[in-house]
Amino acid sequence: MAEQPLKILDYDKLEIGEELGSYEYVLTQEMLDNYRQSIDDPDAAFPTLAVKHDGTALNMVYNDTTGGVNAGNEVEFFNPPVPGKKIFVKGRIADKYLRRDKPYLVIEATAVDEDGNMLERLKTYQMKKPDEVGKKWHPQA
Amino acid sequence: MASTSIEIGAEIPSVTKSVTTESILQFESCAIIDRENIHNNEELAKERLGTTYTLASGRMSIAFASESMRRFFGPDVFHHTGSVNLKFLRPVKNGDTITVTGKVSSQRQVDQGTEIVVELLCQNQDKDRTAAGIGTAVV
Repeated sequence: MAEQPLKILDYDKLEIGEELGSYEYVLTQEMLDNYRQSIDDPDAAFPTLAVKHDGTALNMVYNDTTGGVNAGNEVEFFNPPVPGKKIFVKGRIADKYLRRDKPYLVIEATAVDEDGNMLERLKTYQMKKPDEVGKKWHPQA
Repeated sequence: MASTSIEIGAEIPSVTKSVTTESILQFESCAIIDRENIHNNEELAKERLGTTYTLASGRMSIAFASESMRRFFGPDVFHHTGSVNLKFLRPVKNGDTITVTGKVSSQRQVDQGTEIVVELLCQNQDKDRTAAGIGTAVV
């Protein structure tokens, strides 16, 4: 993974279609075992969900000091990743919009293995005013 | 594996999962970069959300829903044509028990076969909806 200085995330300056981090890693059996144990599913096949390809791509480019709340995920499965093989990930900003005066950021990542097999496409809808969600969950606070 | 003549209204197998601090942290440990977040740092969760606890990643619910879908369609179908799309409605935290249920809501012909759409619901032990959405697979 290339080490580059992180940019401070400024929601207003983000551009739809902007490319995020592009990186590769080797999926290990330990990662798969850890993932399966964490969700209590011995047959789970996509530990890539817990790697959070899209969020990782964002965090490789930006220092996001505001954070965000995950409002939703969309994932498409194409082929289960194989432990020991290299995974190549590309991320991008898929969309951003305001809803009920709240800023949303949609990030997306696609993952392909070393044999060229498409593995997964993941989108995350981040609401970039996390304190607003906290108020909703804890109206007495 | 489900046949191509799946009835509208057919229920997919439900799964029930106990969420603990250990399982939340173990899920987070699968990341490839070390990063403090609202799932693994209580102080950060308090600062950003005002909560007194860390939250389970929404992707854990995606994983739970994926298990339900896989059990219905079979891995040969779901792992190659499946999708899950959830909106997260309430926080999931240590001590929660999440149950995923789903019903086939529609189907349509696509190039590769028949796409089956399942309405998905995640509820906690109080029957509060924590996530809702759809899953699909092509049979």
